[in-house]
Amino acid sequence: MTSLELTINGERRVVHAAPGDTLLEVLRREGYVGVKKGCGSGDCGACTVLLDGRAVNACLVLAAKAEKRTILTIEGLADGGALHPIQEAFLDEGAVQCGYCTPGMVLSAYDLLSRNSAPSEGEIREAISGNLCRCTGYVKQVRAIHAAAERMRSGRNE
Amino acid sequence: MGRSADGQVTRRRSGGPVGLSLGCGLGSPGPLVSARGDGNNRRVEREGDVEDVGLQHIQSIARPTTADEAWRLRTADPESTRFLGGGIDLVLYTPETVTTLIDVSRLGRAGVASGRNGFAIGAGTTLSAILEAPEIASYAGGFLADALRHVASPLQRNVATIGGAVARAHPWSDVVLALLVLDANVEIFDGAARSVAVADFYASRSQNVAPLVTGIRLPLRTPSTRGAFEKFGRTGFDVGLLNCACVAEVAKGICRGVRVAAGGTPSLARRLPEVEEVLEGKRLSSEAIANAATLAARGVDARDDRRASESYRRTLTEVGVRRCLERLADGGAEGTR
Amino acid sequence: MSERTREPFAVVGQSVRKVDGVGLVKGNPKFVADVDLSKALHVRILGSPHAHARIVRIDTSAAAQIPGVVAILTHENTPSTRHTTAGQGYPEPSPYDVRMFDTKVRFVGDRVAAVAAETEEAAEEALRAIRVVYEELPAVLSIDEARAEGAPVIHDETDATGIYEAARNIVADVDIDVGDVGRGFTESDVVVEATCETQYAQHTPIETHVVHSYLDSDDRLVLRTSTQVPFHVRRIVAQTLGIPIQQIRVIKPRVGGGFGTKQEVLLEDIAGWVTLRTGRAAFLCLSRSEEFIAARTRHPMRVRVKLGARRDGVLHAIEMEATSNTGAYGAHGLTVLANTGSKTLPLYNKAENAHFYGQAVYTNLPVSGAYRGYGATQGYFPLETAMDELAERLGLDPIELRRRNHIRVGETSPIFEKLGEGREGVSQTVKSCELERCISIGAERIGWREKRGTRRREGPWVHGVGMSIMMQGSGIPQIDMAAATIKMNEDGSFNLLIGATDIGTGSDTILAQIAAEVLGVPASRMIVTSSDTDLTPFDVGAYASSTTYVSGMAVQRAAEKVRDQILSVAAPMLKTPALSLRLVGEHVVGPAGEGTSLADVCRRAMYSSDQFQIAATASCVPSESPPPFLANFAEVAVDVETGRVKVVQYVAAVDCGVAINPLMAEGQMEGAIVNGIGYALSEEMLLSSTGRVRNPSLFDYKIPGALDIPDLDVILVESYEPTGPMGAKSVGEIGINGPIPTIANAIYDAVGIRLRRTPFTPERVLEALERGRRPKGER
Repeated sequence: MTSLELTINGERRVVHAAPGDTLLEVLRREGYVGVKKGCGSGDCGACTVLLDGRAVNACLVLAAKAEKRTILTIEGLADGGALHPIQEAFLDEGAVQCGYCTPGMVLSAYDLLSRNSAPSEGEIREAISGNLCRCTGYVKQVRAIHAAAERMRSGRNE
Repeated sequence: MGRSADGQVTRRRSGGPVGLSLGCGLGSPGPLVSARGDGNNRRVEREGDVEDVGLQHIQSIARPTTADEAWRLRTADPESTRFLGGGIDLVLYTPETVTTLIDVSRLGRAGVASGRNGFAIGAGTTLSAILEAPEIASYAGGFLADALRHVASPLQRNVATIGGAVARAHPWSDVVLALLVLDANVEIFDGAARSVAVADFYASRSQNVAPLVTGIRLPLRTPSTRGAFEKFGRTGFDVGLLNCACVAEVAKGICRGVRVAAGGTPSLARRLPEVEEVLEGKRLSSEAIANAATLAARGVDARDDRRASESYRRTLTEVGVRRCLERLADGGAEGTR
Repeated sequence: MSERTREPFAVVGQSVRKVDGVGLVKGNPKFVADVDLSKALHVRILGSPHAHARIVRIDTSAAAQIPGVVAILTHENTPSTRHTTAGQGYPEPSPYDVRMFDTKVRFVGDRVAAVAAETEEAAEEALRAIRVVYEELPAVLSIDEARAEGAPVIHDETDATGIYEAARNIVADVDIDVGDVGRGFTESDVVVEATCETQYAQHTPIETHVVHSYLDSDDRLVLRTSTQVPFHVRRIVAQTLGIPIQQIRVIKPRVGGGFGTKQEVLLEDIAGWVTLRTGRAAFLCLSRSEEFIAARTRHPMRVRVKLGARRDGVLHAIEMEATSNTGAYGAHGLTVLANTGSKTLPLYNKAENAHFYGQAVYTNLPVSGAYRGYGATQGYFPLETAMDELAERLGLDPIELRRRNHIRVGETSPIFEKLGEGREGVSQTVKSCELERCISIGAERIGWREKRGTRRREGPWVHGVGMSIMMQGSGIPQIDMAAATIKMNEDGSFNLLIGATDIGTGSDTILAQIAAEVLGVPASRMIVTSSDTDLTPFDVGAYASSTTYVSGMAVQRAAEKVRDQILSVAAPMLKTPALSLRLVGEHVVGPAGEGTSLADVCRRAMYSSDQFQIAATASCVPSESPPPFLANFAEVAVDVETGRVKVVQYVAAVDCGVAINPLMAEGQMEGAIVNGIGYALSEEMLLSSTGRVRNPSLFDYKIPGALDIPDLDVILVESYEPTGPMGAKSVGEIGINGPIPTIANAIYDAVGIRLRRTPFTPERVLEALERGRRPKGER
């Protein structure tokens, strides 16, 4: 076991990790259980986190490779009591059913909207193409991301 | 699912007389289809067999600061070391003999650098960084950016490096296919720094330690260069049952410097020289295209596997090459999923 | 329930946010694995490498030496009680053919042993060290092999019960008829026959099966498990382990998808046994490949439908023969088989002659179980494609043929009575049906008239449109039971305690809405606790589309009792008879506008005068199962060069009664449809010649992603079901039945080929196209 310094949700943390540990394993062990395991092999996207601002499968990243880098998990998205517009939109549009794929889906959307404030439907679908969902059929999730983009452009967070 | 340690493999008989079998092994392992994980984090996928491997055997990660240092570490103990790029493929599968990963992702410069002779891309550059680089958006008429956009999902493109993609070279690799038809060079280090053509890099693969990939070089292209990429997957987020690509300079309907290749056949991408010959210096008429596509289907190294049959792959080769050439004739428009 | 005047609803019919939504969207710890597991034992299961074998010897001595290994389970040290894993009401209509650990293995991946260790790595290492000697037996790998003369007997144990004919590997046999189909076909002017085959498919919930067990501070066994059936888990684990039901508490936290695979007691017995033996908490979670291999699947089926009709298009005889592959164990074998007929044939009640028969058969292959649709999905494939063919033969538009035949309000079908969930069914009359409007609205939305028969060409893509209609059910009549308890708090909020099992379906929310509607409060005033066998009253669980209709009615009744109590407390406060009082806007209001807040009422009842706890429990056993109805329309494009099929547009017009929460009802339909599209086009578990799953990963078992969905339009066409809570029926399953036949019919419209085997992969479609192009003699 070695010590790794990671910045997680704005907080500098020192975690213990074996060299072969993935970021998913380390994050869940450290209590960030919003990062979900669905397959462990990068096929479902339930473990999506942001690494230096880009959405990645935490199950495919060696924790050691994340050393000294910045990680954002779903737990870091809401600002105190206030949900992020993407989270609000997901709730309002009925885009959350069982909720297991939701953190990953929201973070992929966050990555997209941080670089593209007015994505087309095709761009939205591509951004979440690595996030599988079995409950919703993706229809309301695409709509929610679209709605979130509108909210964010107009500066609303209601 | 576990497997017993005594390593005995069962002689499996389907139907027929009953027999005793020892051990709890998962049967004679089939051919190693690809080292790719699934299931409880990391497994080896053999045809019809799934073994737990895991990464508990990794004991350390080395961080050399030069290619030379990296190479010395690697060759000092080939069985127990592996180069680590983005890490995706290693996380999915690393043999149990490996105890040290040698992180090479920060050697040399990352990113796309343009020079007199084309572009140099550091091996540690992620696929996303490449396809988002403005120089690449227009390179070869947008062909490379389009090809890279077909790879896996954005989540994986944000981690996978071009060096890793080239070094691992999954048989279905879209990256290798694209680099092949672009006449890219692979910059390698195996005690000395060299540059080899992509095709030669794979042709010369042997049992020895594979050279360290330090970068990719893309040659300068003229404004008349066009390319087209076709990938036939089962769903939108998939590897190709078959993928193919064409690049050529097309001026006044005549094509020069034609490159045609197919991959995922299920073998790694290979050029189809007989198809290139028949198109070189010719007009891209519909007969020429149809003829070339038929030749491609005949010449491609296609085989059955559980994803597709040989004959269907030949059909996809014919259709894919024809569509690529038609798009070349049309101006190299972007492919659709 | 009595017909009440239909005032507009205040809460029902609103798309309120899910009551658990904020926690889910923040990633709060809500799922089984989201607790501190550092002190729990990690459990891993050793699966059989053989499809059929006897265990001659198991030697765990080397495994036991591995540091960190705490317990090893085999058939030698665990209970031998035969039971079923099927989460169904007692007595379960599934055979008792499972042992916790058996001396025989019956499919690749079947349980051989399990290890509990301090770490997952130690458990894995121990599995590798267990030495097993097998006597391999010939395996049965298809339904035809299973019933063949001299086939190996998969269930030759002497203590199994409930198997129809074990010696011939037949789990269940169903045969019912109405009238005389033989004569009916003879009397028909046109007869059409279609035989279809469906594949092994898997639910792939994004959260795999997982359980966390521990002893509470009173040494009772607690099972926190991702399940659809908490009460059945409690009973079956008690039975399997031989401990009193009273000693077990089952808690269902948030579940990451079920779709039927979690209507099964798959892991809880092992975890429970480990905890009881060691006193330690235990954690057992299936890996994704284990989920494919050793969880549950959809029953692959071969179904033949024969239709006979008169010139006027009215069906005169229907025959359906279904053969179902139930895999190595018989859970849900009988009931899925019966459902194949019971949820399809009544739709076309005009046929005076009907015959449904079939068998569910054991094979040495992965175990089939409950999967959304539950046999109806497999049955509608040949039924609705045969109807399409019949329409063509009669020269009728497919829509018109449906119109002349489908069941309507006030009508019944003899099938309702003859065929239920494995036993006889229950006679019923349809009391709500907007299928007519579903059909016309859907047809218009897709542009049926403009597109049908045009075969619009776009490069290599040829377009076509197809349609289908269907029904399902709402709960299992006279068998399913649900109960709810509501108690009031002195701030005017309420605790709603329900056994009903929210697996992502949103039942916590819609049941809160129903209660809130009766009590005159916003849904947010209901504090929902669900699916805890210690705290919540009984509910069969989430299956058979029962939650809205059955659990909802229990909630409505409980709320009505609480309402009556509130009014009886308020009456003296307002000096107005209770009969004249209403609950509105968190107040009790009288005819002259006088009012008092709910909080005041409860404070009085709790502290001041004639104190009692305002609370009530109510149950519901439905006497019928009113069907939701659905009309599906799809436009597909077929790439005639590669065989690829794209669903361009899909319209589903559904009558689910009153939609308690429209957004959520749409969401159920959308998810079911996309799942059905995967089942139709790309999903297939591939099996090797030795019975091994060749593609146990999401890498090679392809479910639809965001890039694969069509322009999907779900239209809620509401009816009012008089027997349903607030007029509701159900919507959970029906959507998944649509895509296969609708897409098959659309492909026929586009390129003139009839596909009979799912999935319609590009290679299969191309092959069919090429066969169609060859001269007739060569096919």
